[in-house]
Amino acid sequence: VEGRPRDERELVLRAQHGDSRAYEELVRPHEEIAFRVAYVITRNAADAEDAVQDALVKAWRALGRFRAGEPLRPWLLQIAANEARNRRRSAGRRDRLALAAASLSGEAAPSPEDAALDAAQREQLLAALEELPADARDVLACRYLLDLSEEETAAALDLARGTVKSRTSRALDRLKEAYGSRT
Amino acid sequence: MDLERELRALPIEWPATPQFAFVLTRRRRRWPLAAAIALAALAAAFAVPQSRSAILRFFDIGADKIEFVGTLPRAETRPLDAGLGAPVSLAEARGIVPQLLLPRLDPRPTLHQSGGAVSLVFRFRGRPVLLSEIRDGGIFLKKLVGGQTDAVFIRVRGEFSGLWLAGNPHVFFFPREPARLAGNTLVWQGIGTTYRLEGPGLTKQAALDLAASLGDTP
Repeated sequence: VEGRPRDERELVLRAQHGDSRAYEELVRPHEEIAFRVAYVITRNAADAEDAVQDALVKAWRALGRFRAGEPLRPWLLQIAANEARNRRRSAGRRDRLALAAASLSGEAAPSPEDAALDAAQREQLLAALEELPADARDVLACRYLLDLSEEETAAALDLARGTVKSRTSRALDRLKEAYGSRT
Repeated sequence: MDLERELRALPIEWPATPQFAFVLTRRRRRWPLAAAIALAALAAAFAVPQSRSAILRFFDIGADKIEFVGTLPRAETRPLDAGLGAPVSLAEARGIVPQLLLPRLDPRPTLHQSGGAVSLVFRFRGRPVLLSEIRDGGIFLKKLVGGQTDAVFIRVRGEFSGLWLAGNPHVFFFPREPARLAGNTLVWQGIGTTYRLEGPGLTKQAALDLAASLGDTP
């Protein structure tokens, strides 16, 4: 879990008194992770953008009920993920996750052979992940691709923390099996 | 193989994070198909002029649809009490909007109803004010806001549920009525009801004071 800035509580209190600049300062550091969580759920950048924009509006309006001193990020991710789930139900083009182009060139690898192998393995691992059922894929994406804590993953996916733990374990087993059969 | 480590090391190509609006201002966006279809239906319902410019952003405050556009459609200035509907009794008004809020005035201003909205015009601090109240799930109001109108979220009656529109007039659509130019407006959402206060020269503080003073009895 990321450390909370010392002034987060103060910003929350200021925002709760109607200071929209304090609110902006408060949530700006979390908008990228909120957008990526929404993207993992919707697999559509435009839907994810709408989800997070609406989540930021809803969070502002709900801020009066937020307890200053609590970590803001899980709360914000929960709202963004909920908005994203509402949009996932609608039809539309869905993206698959892709590896960054730089990683495919293997520029950081010691030799072309190793680089090609590494790039191929990464592609295979991602392909195996993408073929998992959505609930397994989402929990692994949150925990490992986005590096969310169990608490944040639970908030984002609307699960009990214990369920995150057990689902992650089962999903890893399935991924190992699927990935192993590819290599 | 340490699968967890391998997953963490995957260099995913994430889409670029957009810039999000915190205070409502113009912001270009792409339209998802579903939203475009919903908007087209809404536009038809409100007979929005087809020539209006692209919409930049929209928000809902309860029953109030607020869209930010590059160029406002043509609209005229009309009296605040134009097209509010037929007069109704207090009991009838409460039947339409159970969470009806009223100014503490004697005599009580005339209540009007149109669709699911109850409206009344009265004077507050010497200026005319229109108060409209709409039960959720009923009709929708709609506003088009240009770049010269300031729009900020605001706490109303102790809740973060309001939007204050001020500066240049915005275009306001009431169902089955022609578009008209509207002045400073406070919109907020209560329990199951959306409230809207509008008045020429209405200041933010006056609007907030008036909103705070409204009660369930005249």
